Amino acid sequence: MNLVRAELERLSARRFVQLMVVLLVLAFAVTAATTLAGSHKPSVSELNSARQQATEARQSMEATFRECLARQGGALPTEDGGMYLPADCSEIDPVLQDRLPIAADFLPGVFTFAEQAQPLLYFLIAFLVLFGFLVGASYIGADLTSGGVVNLLLWRPRRVTVLAAKLGTLLGTVLVLALLASVAYLATFWVIGQAAGLPGRLDGDFWRSLGAVHGRGLVLVLLASALGFAIATLGRHTSAALGAFAAYAVVWELGARLVLEIVDARKSDLFMLSSHIGAWLNGGARFYDERLCAGGPGLNCDSFYTITWGSSLLVLLVLAGGLTAAAFAVFRRRDLI
Amino acid sequence: MSAVIEIEGLRKTFRSLRSGRRVAVDGFDLLVEAGQVHGFLGPNGSGKTTTLRALLGLVRADSGRMTVLGEPSPELLPRVAGQVGAIVESPQFFGNFTGYRTLRLLARAGGVPVSRVDEVLELVGLHDRGDERVKGYSLGMKQRLAVASALLKDPRLLILDEPANGLDPAGIREMRDLMRSLAANGVTVLVSSHILGEIQLICDHVTIISRGRRVATGRVDEVLAGHDRHEFLVRVAEPERAVDLLHAAELTAVVDGGALVVSGVSDPTVVSRVLGEQGLWVGELTPLRPDLESVFLELTGAYEHSSVPRQVGDSSLPQGEAVIDLDRGVDA
Ligand SMILES: Nc1ncnc2c1ncn2[C@@H]1O[C@H](COP(=O)(O)OP(=O)(O)O)[C@@H](O)[C@H]1O
Ligand SMILES: [Mg+2]
Repeated sequence: MNLVRAELERLSARRFVQLMVVLLVLAFAVTAATTLAGSHKPSVSELNSARQQATEARQSMEATFRECLARQGGALPTEDGGMYLPADCSEIDPVLQDRLPIAADFLPGVFTFAEQAQPLLYFLIAFLVLFGFLVGASYIGADLTSGGVVNLLLWRPRRVTVLAAKLGTLLGTVLVLALLASVAYLATFWVIGQAAGLPGRLDGDFWRSLGAVHGRGLVLVLLASALGFAIATLGRHTSAALGAFAAYAVVWELGARLVLEIVDARKSDLFMLSSHIGAWLNGGARFYDERLCAGGPGLNCDSFYTITWGSSLLVLLVLAGGLTAAAFAVFRRRDLI
Repeated sequence: MSAVIEIEGLRKTFRSLRSGRRVAVDGFDLLVEAGQVHGFLGPNGSGKTTTLRALLGLVRADSGRMTVLGEPSPELLPRVAGQVGAIVESPQFFGNFTGYRTLRLLARAGGVPVSRVDEVLELVGLHDRGDERVKGYSLGMKQRLAVASALLKDPRLLILDEPANGLDPAGIREMRDLMRSLAANGVTVLVSSHILGEIQLICDHVTIISRGRRVATGRVDEVLAGHDRHEFLVRVAEPERAVDLLHAAELTAVVDGGALVVSGVSDPTVVSRVLGEQGLWVGELTPLRPDLESVFLELTGAYEHSSVPRQVGDSSLPQGEAVIDLDRGVDA
């Protein structure tokens, strides 16, 4: 416990951590300020007109769908006045669409919280993932290169305890920071929606799905922190983590993807960490691969394949957990100079 | 007396891709007993720091047996770590923290009452500078802070690696007084250094290391006595004639400047009698006692090729079992 308290003080005194927190607050302030400046509370007439436009848009979709069905049924000529109609009418069936036009779509310059909350949260999570990775790497990296770890080990010659205290402090701090940041972030935009825009439909479904993204995002932030910490420990330097990240992005995500394309490998997205991150955050992901259907997509061939959130979580856990375990195993035995 | 530090047959080889294998410590032995202020002396690169690191569990030894305060190290070092204060090489501190905060963090991590921080800052003479940032400290002040960190635990055993580095002469004297007062309070001190005069002034015991091996150990005065060649400096009016007379009396003598150096003399009265009988009156008869420096240079061979700049690690190895162990020699 004493060790954790000391580590907490050390972590919070790090310039880099302070800088990242300032950056976070800054990015946050800029986003909030521009949103606030670009949004206004819609007048009653604006709202009415938007509602009407939305209704019309939905009606026109219905009409197109009916037209398509009619043509399929042979009631109408195949040639029509330039309107595009797909061969398979279910593609434009309004009931099967992900979302239908709503009033908020026809209110330019009005911030609608219910519509924007999720993309805003993704942005925050992306920042926090980067924050966790960099802070995790620099926290142990700087301590290893400066001899701080050696100093501490002269005090407490238990390597695993010392490293675990550091990792635990890191994860705890990042979690608390991420929670505070996301709550403050969403609350601010909620207030903007109430005061200078539209709240939108904030029903149980909305909060459930937002909460799910939030929870999965926090897990991702923690995994990224542990990963940065583990790689920097293995490589004895902060730069090891940065280098590994850059090398992975260039060599694997770009280079290997190209090679996989060239050799006609199937389902190449399965091998990309980015796919798994996306799949985990969105609760699953679908990828397209035309090679899955040799004779072209047909009725009984699906060119799509999915990564479920469960399997992607497993991949991410094994990666972060494996590297962390390796870091502990190596740190237990290595010469500390 | 009980052993506070025991090292037997310690061996450590560093392997790196660039420079290959480098034997840093090569079958080294060390015995430090309770209450000693033990000097650990050796030229640069002779393996002092590596030995201390291995002892404190920072590097993994290839072979050898070590104990600290009776516990095998590094396996059971945590049991006694609370009683061992140590600095190894100049420790680096976090520059943005003040000296006080640095020590408070360590105290907290080690479960030492924070009130102890002020005491140790006072002890090392940093009391008035404790609230300045460490990056503004001079080398000597950082060294003092390091010693303060080692003292925080109120240790029974204090291990200091080259503590005099970067200290001014007054600082060295203060360090010496500090170590003496610690020793007087029953703290056992192991202090490594390549500065001979320091060891001679501070320490009662010394172990000399050269190329990773022990070349001498024992009480400082006994190590010195072991190297006493019984030489005397003699001043007389006619040095050349005196040399002949002494040779005739089967003594070894050479002219050195205006004086004579007579060696192998067990009884100096012989010299004055031989010369006096021939009417040469001795103006000065001074025993040439070795100091630690000459013993050190002799033992580590750091003196031989003086026309070629000596290279680090270029010192001599002990010949076979010719380790001078006066503690045991006296017992036998
Ligand atoms: N991490 C290391 N890698 C390779 N060689 C090392 C390392 N540390 C020390 N050495 C070598 O071991 C020898 C002893 O070094 P050291 O114990 O630091 O000597 P001292 O403290 O007596 O000056 C030197 O030759 C040094 O180059
Ligand atoms: Mg050294």
